[in-house]
Amino acid sequence: MSIRQPSSPRALLSFRRWQAPAFRRFNRLGFWTHYYKRGVLRFFRFGLELLVGPLVSSLLFVLVFAVAQSERAAMVPGIDLIQFIAPGIILYAIAHTAFENAAAMLVFEKMEGMITDVQMAPLSPLELLAGYALSSATCGLAVGLLVGGAASVFVDFSSFDASLVIGFAVATALLFGFLGTVVGLWAERWDHYSAVEGFVVVPLGLLSGTFFSVERLPEAFREWIFYNPVFYAIDGFRAGLIGHAESSHTVGFAVLGILILGLALLGWRLFAVGYKIKP
Amino acid sequence: MEHRTVSPAALSVRRLGLVNWRGLWTLYMKEVRRFLNVFTQTLLAPMVTTLLFLAIFTLALGGGGRQVGGVDFAVFLGPGLIMMAMVQNSFANTSSSLVIAKVQGNIVDILMPPLSATELTLGISAGGVTRGLMVGAAVGLGMWLFVPLQIHAPLFILYHALMASLMLALLGMIGGIWSEKFDHIAAVTNFVITPFSFLSGTFYSIERLPPIWQTVAHFNPFFYMIDGFRYGFIGHADGSLGTGLVVMALFNLFLWAVAHRMLASGYRLKP
Repeated sequence: MSIRQPSSPRALLSFRRWQAPAFRRFNRLGFWTHYYKRGVLRFFRFGLELLVGPLVSSLLFVLVFAVAQSERAAMVPGIDLIQFIAPGIILYAIAHTAFENAAAMLVFEKMEGMITDVQMAPLSPLELLAGYALSSATCGLAVGLLVGGAASVFVDFSSFDASLVIGFAVATALLFGFLGTVVGLWAERWDHYSAVEGFVVVPLGLLSGTFFSVERLPEAFREWIFYNPVFYAIDGFRAGLIGHAESSHTVGFAVLGILILGLALLGWRLFAVGYKIKP
Repeated sequence: MEHRTVSPAALSVRRLGLVNWRGLWTLYMKEVRRFLNVFTQTLLAPMVTTLLFLAIFTLALGGGGRQVGGVDFAVFLGPGLIMMAMVQNSFANTSSSLVIAKVQGNIVDILMPPLSATELTLGISAGGVTRGLMVGAAVGLGMWLFVPLQIHAPLFILYHALMASLMLALLGMIGGIWSEKFDHIAAVTNFVITPFSFLSGTFYSIERLPPIWQTVAHFNPFFYMIDGFRYGFIGHADGSLGTGLVVMALFNLFLWAVAHRMLASGYRLKP
């Protein structure tokens, strides 16, 4: 590693030869500890609650739609309703986990006062941001893999296109990982966090074409859905799984890329100035 | 102001009547203020989420003037969604109250005062019922703007709203006392309460289920409360109404006895 170790026990006692640990541009050991040991391992320690919980609620949604669907009306000609909604449910699980994990971790650390543990560590603002956002995105993708795996057992994903599926899944996980980090920094109490979750994340996720085709919407609302970034993510992801798209992938990647970049810059700036975490 | 000397006799234990009304009221108001303090999280967020559910389910499943149980799909769905919001919130109120109090150690604040097990059960469950009914009213009012809900039998609506909130409030108490960590109560919510509130006829008439599952549904209290509550709005029920009334009352009595026993014996509450 890049940390200079004292070579012998004698060197430990010598003040002259001791030097402060010097890091290269990127503190890899610190980042890995922050990202993997604090972020990812923490998530898997609560595996039953955090991994299996989203899996059960996603499957419940599929089950309810399977029983309640009407025989007459297919959502889109030639595509089964379950086939249509399954990709959206998988992506929603990814987005929600990625958001929840980063935001809840930050709010918890701030309220318990443990945030100093990461602030005291020799991590730059960029490393802090990346640790929170990327670990949360990783957990979101893990949930997505689990839900997707379970869904593929009984849903036909015949026209699987790996580049679209992975591209949009990763973009969504990153978008909500960064969003969760920014919201976690902003929120001072649990009800601030759950207000953002209830009034921003859930509506964006549910009103995004997860459960219905754009053509189902009343005329007046049809244009509005194109302002919802999650719509592009779900549409692209669905195109990768079942080959039915309602918008352009290029536009989708551009919209998500710009938002990810914007949120990452905002989060970087917030960590740099210590927004709500430094006195 | 007149100064009085306190005689030793006046320093004796404060006498309580049969019921410690002041203590009961204080406990109840503590439970109510606890959720009203964060009403965006406990009242508005469930309302928004439920209305979103209404929107997506109507858009996805209600196409082409679809009728269920003799009414429009949205009118059929509305009461089920109100009931789902009520039960999830009354469960969340009592369970989170008890688990947080246990984890943070302030459970002694309700164990030390002179409150009997009956008063504790009543005070805490009444807090959960209040939240359930308030969420139900908020969701119902919000829904009424979009869906032409009719009131067919108001007494059925009131009875089942009250009984369902009480049932889930008591279940939340039992779950909260049993849980030692947040994981435990989250597991109960994820693997018991959510599946039951989703699969017991909220979104569909149980006539759509395979025959074996229809039989199973008739042993499920969640089915009776949703069915009876919906009957109050649309005047059509899948199951027997009389059975529903009896099942809800008996099941609540049973749960009350369990919760009372847990509080009286101090199970996982007292060392």
